Amino acid sequence: MSLRIITRAIQRLSTIQTGNSIPKYFKTITRAESTTVVPKPKFESITEQYLGFGNFVAECLPKYIQKVQISSKNELELLIAPEGVLPVFHFLKNQTNCQFVNLSDICAVDVPQRTNRFEIVYNLLSLRFNTRLRVKTYTDELTPIDSITSIYEAANWYEREIWDMFGVFFTNHPDLRRILTDYGFEGHPFRKDFPLSGYVEVRYDDEKRRVVVEPLEMSQEFRRFELSTPWEQFPNFRSATTVEEVPLAEKEKK
Amino acid sequence: MAAREASKCATKIVRPLLSSDKSEAKKRVLNLYKTYYRQIPLILFDRHLPVSKEECQKKLKEEFLKNKHITDVRVIDMLVIKGQMLLQEIVTKWAQDCHVMTLFKDTAEPKPNDFLSKFVNSNDSQ
Repeated sequence: MSLRIITRAIQRLSTIQTGNSIPKYFKTITRAESTTVVPKPKFESITEQYLGFGNFVAECLPKYIQKVQISSKNELELLIAPEGVLPVFHFLKNQTNCQFVNLSDICAVDVPQRTNRFEIVYNLLSLRFNTRLRVKTYTDELTPIDSITSIYEAANWYEREIWDMFGVFFTNHPDLRRILTDYGFEGHPFRKDFPLSGYVEVRYDDEKRRVVVEPLEMSQEFRRFELSTPWEQFPNFRSATTVEEVPLAEKEKK
Repeated sequence: MAAREASKCATKIVRPLLSSDKSEAKKRVLNLYKTYYRQIPLILFDRHLPVSKEECQKKLKEEFLKNKHITDVRVIDMLVIKGQMLLQEIVTKWAQDCHVMTLFKDTAEPKPNDFLSKFVNSNDSQ
């Protein structure tokens, strides 16, 4: 199914390209004689480039790209639907104008207030275009996410880490098991509802001659924290501007 | 027609974890139970655990029956996945003897039930 979607996207792309030549927001690389000439980018700012690229990807994969935004630190972010993980990454890695061949990191964020409490964040790097891209998707405790190990080998350990720390299950992962916690550890420690002190304590028992695990009871509940720092570290960035959403072109109506 | 539309809204379609329906989930659970049961003698042969085969079987049954009340197919699947991972850890000897013995909780003191023992065990938080 995903293959069909990708081929459709590529077909769509080719029609776009033949329709009005190459989209203007890409660097054109021309070969003159034996030397490679890379013309200067035509964009006034990096933001303009992001706007163009965001619109391009959203045009190619309209089913899966839900939102494109530029973060306060000027980074491009794609927000995608969880069922589109495979086609989107296949596109981003293999499409000539993307070539995000390097997967820098995958991490997760737990926001318990949301219906889909986990946010999975993929950081990509395109060596060809010297660009970074962040792709975000979402899930909850029981909804599996497609593993992208078939596209990026590097995803193997990152996905194991997310499984271990947050308990998000990745389907078709070749070797999904714990990576950071000890054998016999129960629970997923990066979840917000996991207590700071944990559920168990570990000690060496002389009588049993082995390490034993016992349920932990603290006399004080470590629940309330003052999280703001007492001194200001970066006053200029205190009220960081929120993300800027890229306005996508209107989807064609059927 | 309207009723059908309403039922569409009411039932939330979710992505299955492993099993598509309850009977399949049940098969997976039974399968896992049988695998564990057959592995017990081999585990005891490989390791020096201060427990007998019967105790292990009793413990196995207890652990499975602990989750008897769960009816959600996806939750059952998640527990089956975790059970499989634990079995893999034990059989491949990644988990050491002390890790296996944590399942028996033989050093944990039972929680106080009656007033006097609660009073004796009470700490400052109450």
